[in-house]
Amino acid sequence: MQETEETEEQERLSYQQRLKAAVHYTVGCLCQEVAEDKEMQFSKQTIAAISEMTFRQCENFARDVEMFARHAKRNTVNTEDVKLLARRSNSLLKYITEKSEELNQERKAKKKKQPKDGNQSCREPAEAGGGDSES
Amino acid sequence: MERAGTGFRKELVSKLLHLHFRDEKTKVGGDALQLMAELLRIFVVEAAVRGVRQAQAEDVTLVDIDQLEKVLPQLLLDF
Repeated sequence: MQETEETEEQERLSYQQRLKAAVHYTVGCLCQEVAEDKEMQFSKQTIAAISEMTFRQCENFARDVEMFARHAKRNTVNTEDVKLLARRSNSLLKYITEKSEELNQERKAKKKKQPKDGNQSCREPAEAGGGDSES
Repeated sequence: MERAGTGFRKELVSKLLHLHFRDEKTKVGGDALQLMAELLRIFVVEAAVRGVRQAQAEDVTLVDIDQLEKVLPQLLLDF
């Protein structure tokens, strides 16, 4: 009994570790871009710290967005909920609202063909886990 | 920063969100995921750019933990 619980806990932790690694990779790519743009270097610790921040911020985001959806009596998080996440900063809210509009129009324009993600140049070296469920 | 190729992949964002959801029934729409990925990208880029600005103000050529620490409180208040 206890052993299975322990292995479950370990699996959960290693899954989390893999997601963290994926976040770290993306953060590394983004920082690299900023570094080239601004001609400034980032220390390894800084990139690691930003990754950790981002991972933890995800927890806040996830909880908030889930509660927003629940408050609207929905089980599915939609763009309105994500917009609420950006409520604390005016310019961020404006930007996110514009982006959301853009996505809406994109989807209307090509309802059949899914728009390709623009993430091709920056792939995680290893998949964080099996099953690519998109919802 | 204009729309560059780099960013969080939708699958990763989905997994990150589902890791923290309290209710397994909670789902995320496709557009919401895309928007969430964008929000996370902005978060990271903001952290980096603010760190750069701090380093420039201090006249150093490396963004180290010290610089990040100084911009962290305001960053977290903005998100």
